[in-house]
Amino acid sequence: MKKLLSGSLLVILTLSLNAQDKYFTKTGNISFNSKTALENIEARHKSVTCVVDTKAGNIAFAILMKGFEFEKALMQEHFNENYVESNKFPKAEFKGEILNNAEINYSKNGNYSVKVKGKLAMHGETNDTEAMGTMIVKDGKIQVNSIFNILLSDYKIEIPKVVSDKVSNTVNIDVRCSLEPLKI
Amino acid sequence: MRKKKIILIMLTVTIISGGWYGYSEYNRKPIDLSISKADLQLSTSELISSFENNVQESNKKYLDKILAVSGVVKSVEKNDQGFYFVVLSERGNMSSVRCSMDETHQQAAVLLTENTQVTIKGVCTGFNSDELLGSDVILNRCVVMK
Repeated sequence: MKKLLSGSLLVILTLSLNAQDKYFTKTGNISFNSKTALENIEARHKSVTCVVDTKAGNIAFAILMKGFEFEKALMQEHFNENYVESNKFPKAEFKGEILNNAEINYSKNGNYSVKVKGKLAMHGETNDTEAMGTMIVKDGKIQVNSIFNILLSDYKIEIPKVVSDKVSNTVNIDVRCSLEPLKI
Repeated sequence: MRKKKIILIMLTVTIISGGWYGYSEYNRKPIDLSISKADLQLSTSELISSFENNVQESNKKYLDKILAVSGVVKSVEKNDQGFYFVVLSERGNMSSVRCSMDETHQQAAVLLTENTQVTIKGVCTGFNSDELLGSDVILNRCVVMK
C-alpha cells in the first residue's frame, strides 16, 4: 500500500514537474493572405492550439481548417470546398523543434529570435518546413510570432485555371500565439 | 424588327440581373448567427460524448451545422487580440465545448458568469482531441442565446 502510494505520488510529482516546462494556448491567432494584382484574399483563425515544450525544445500547432473566417462568405465556401477540402481534411498540424532552444531563457523576460524546423501536414500532404520567428518571454508567458510563406502546390492544393490570376500559389502566413504555463 | 427589339430587351435584362446576382454573391457576407435558426439543439455533454465516441460520424453530423448548445459556463477567456471565448463544460470533465464569439456579439459573453447555465449558438468547425490539454469541440461565430 505504502509502495503504491509513494509510487503514485512520484507519478504526480513527475507529471507536475514536466508540466512546468510546457506552455500552451487554445486561442492562438493565425491569419493568411494571398495577394495578386486582381484580388487580395485574407482569412483569420482565432482558435489555434499551440504547445511549447521548453525542456525538449519542441513546438506544435493544431488548427481546424473550417475555423478560418473570411470577410466574404463565397471565399470561405470556395476555400473549404474547392481548395483545402476541409470535409476530407479537417485539420492542419505542425510539429517541429526550436533549433536554437538552448539560447532561450524561459525564466527571464526577453525577446528572442527563433528558428523552427518541422513538418507541416495539411490537405493530406506533409512537408518539411522551416520558419523564422520571435519568442517574447514576459512575466511567465510566451508570445510566439512568425511570418512565413508556403506554396499551395506543395500541398497539392490546385488553383483552377479560370482564377489563376486571382489566387496566388504563394500564401503568406502570420502566426501570433500567446502561451501560458500548463498547470495540471 | 419588333422581334429583335424584344430579344434585345430580354438580353439586357438577363445581363443586368446576372451581373447583379454575381456582384451580390461575390460580396455576400457570412451569415449573422443571431438572426439565423439553429440546425440542431443539444447539450454540452451530448456533443462532447458524440465526438469522443466517433469523430468521423460526428464530423458528418455536426460540421458546418449551426448548433445551439446548452451547458454550464466553465470560463470566459479573452485573448491578446481582444477576442472572447466561452468554455462550456461539465464539472470534472477535461473535455469542453469552446465557443469563439462573433466579434459583433461578444459583449454578451463578457456579461456571463462562471457556473451558470447558458445556451450558445455557433457553427461547428470540428474536434481537437488532445490528451495533454483536454479535448474540445469548437464552435465559431458564436452568439449567446440566453
